[in-house]
Amino acid sequence: MSDLTNQDAKAIIENQIETLKKRNKEPEWMTKLRYKAMKTFFEAPHNDPIIKNPLKFVVKSTEEVYPEIKSLDDLPPEMRSLLDRLGIAEVEKKYVAGIAVQSDTSIVLNEFLKTWREKGLIMESMEDAVRKYPALKDKFMGLFNPAESKLAAYHTAVWNGGVFLHVKSGLKVPVPMHLFFLIQNSAMAQAPHIIIDAEPQSEIHLIEGCTSPVLVRHSLHLDMTEAYIGNDARVKLSVLQNWPEYVHTRPMTRAVVGKNAEFINTTVGLGTGKSNVSNPKYFVQDGGYAELNSIILGQKDFYVDLGGEIHLQGAKSHGLNVSKSVIMDRSHVITRSVIQANAPKTKGHISCDALILSPKANMETYPGLISSVDDSELSHEAAIGKIKEEELFYLMSRGLKEEEATQLIVKGFVDPLLKDIPTEFVIEIRKIIELAVSGGM
Amino acid sequence: MNNILLIRNLHVAVENGNSKKEIIKGLNLEGHGGEIHLVMGPNGSGKSTLALSIMGHPRYGILDGEIKFENEKINHLSPDERAKRGIFLAFQHPEEVEGVRIIDYLRMLVEKVRKIDRKESYDFVVARAKEVWFREEDLNRYINVGFSGGERKRFEILQAMLLDPKLVILDEPDSGADVDSLSLISLKLREMRESGKGILLITHYGRILQHIEKKRIKVHIMRDGKIVMSGGEELVDRIEKEGFAKIFEECGCNE
Repeated sequence: MSDLTNQDAKAIIENQIETLKKRNKEPEWMTKLRYKAMKTFFEAPHNDPIIKNPLKFVVKSTEEVYPEIKSLDDLPPEMRSLLDRLGIAEVEKKYVAGIAVQSDTSIVLNEFLKTWREKGLIMESMEDAVRKYPALKDKFMGLFNPAESKLAAYHTAVWNGGVFLHVKSGLKVPVPMHLFFLIQNSAMAQAPHIIIDAEPQSEIHLIEGCTSPVLVRHSLHLDMTEAYIGNDARVKLSVLQNWPEYVHTRPMTRAVVGKNAEFINTTVGLGTGKSNVSNPKYFVQDGGYAELNSIILGQKDFYVDLGGEIHLQGAKSHGLNVSKSVIMDRSHVITRSVIQANAPKTKGHISCDALILSPKANMETYPGLISSVDDSELSHEAAIGKIKEEELFYLMSRGLKEEEATQLIVKGFVDPLLKDIPTEFVIEIRKIIELAVSGGM
Repeated sequence: MNNILLIRNLHVAVENGNSKKEIIKGLNLEGHGGEIHLVMGPNGSGKSTLALSIMGHPRYGILDGEIKFENEKINHLSPDERAKRGIFLAFQHPEEVEGVRIIDYLRMLVEKVRKIDRKESYDFVVARAKEVWFREEDLNRYINVGFSGGERKRFEILQAMLLDPKLVILDEPDSGADVDSLSLISLKLREMRESGKGILLITHYGRILQHIEKKRIKVHIMRDGKIVMSGGEELVDRIEKEGFAKIFEECGCNE
């Protein structure tokens, strides 16, 4: 990690763009977009509490080997065992859910997905999608501007991996789709780009598991998600993060929620990585609904700064932003939720709760309500505290040890936000919480 | 008879912030398996403090004296260690535990404390829950959240049934309970006594005794942190008719 000059960085990024262009056989508009973003990278503003010098994360490309992954059997053993632990293989056998496991360039599709493809469900690796669907030109970076920050610009210049999910108008997918990021052997920056395009009246639930990146070489993860939710569509996006402790993550998420549409975005940050800074934004049109739920488990010396803006743009739109943080060790967690009402008869509510398990942990919460109209109902509630002595005594008087009682209370604290998460994941999430609580005590 | 609970010269102070206040001031009590001991007394006489001290609440410190359970001193044991030895407290105001489903909690209790096999714990819990009118679907609710008065009190009894303790302390199991729940709780108390458990019952009313054999009942009246009078079941009627003030006056307990 020597200090790169702008000149060095430019050479490295250019090299990566050329590699990606060739490898992906990209259309010209994409390469142009990458080069334009590279130029803005050096001029764009940079404001990050942890990463002072983004040049440190510009990495050299090396010879790459991309293993062929055609089915779940080809996965590395660690990934395989993770899926087994989650009961995914079992689930798949019963054909009740779709799974796509994404490696650096390929997507593993199962029978379920093949069947649904005929009905109008597209799930492609972003590289393939960019080549196959010219219409993506309008959607790719449609909700972001590379010039708005150095990290957005860098992502745009070197993005690789990610998926394109398209749900045809009126198509209702009855079971959750699982997507796992499998990042291996990539010398590229980790910068997957995800686009969800749900046409009017469609329904889908996507579960992203960033639970076990294999052989992560890079310490910066820069993913970007753009969600287009058509009128009357209903989309759920559940993201499970369990990053290793040396990774800095900067997820960038934006969504446009159409008229009378519903978007429920739940993020479970079990391992948030060394630092996690994000500020997702949702723009809600007439009668639409956006819900942002976050569970944050602050451990060790992790730093989490979670924003979240819901812009109520259309009449009668509403938004709900709920976060529950459990903080221990020397972690530092900040939540800043904002609901902004710009249209009549809108409603919004923010709720931030934090349970502090260690005197050295630090919690800050800043709920923000902004209204430019006079008939909007906006409210917020926030509570930061430790476990109630009476609650602990009640459970211990039944024969549970202090540790067991604490685990139970912590699991209960986050439970209401797990309503959309499939049981197999909930079991795994509970196990991780138990371990974290034991380790923190 | 086997001596379950023996309390000698107990002094207990409650901590509140930086101040300590002595509530129990030299209390003596002895109880055996198969007996029902009633503790009655005006508000503020120290009845709940007695219950919480026996269970080991961290804010109730023993200043002097001892609490023995099955002839062993338990003054310094943590609440969970006391529970594992066989002491149970049915709370006057049971805590709500948000987000924790009853079924998960009760299975955890019977598996960890009673060592019942994971394969059998579900049926074990559901069968006993039905005895105190909880349906299988009720067990998906969170602990005490949104419970009626009667449900709360029946849920405390259910936990006692599942843990099968040797000493059951009940702090006003009748307050807030509906008439039918009250009758059921009384029946369950009788069953517990018949199976040889010792019962320490804090109450203001005789109604909870409706299904219990009168001759098994011992009554203690507390005043200002001490037991000032003990007797048989007839004391309950006297208290209900005359009130504590008159009884204290007659016995000269006001001094």
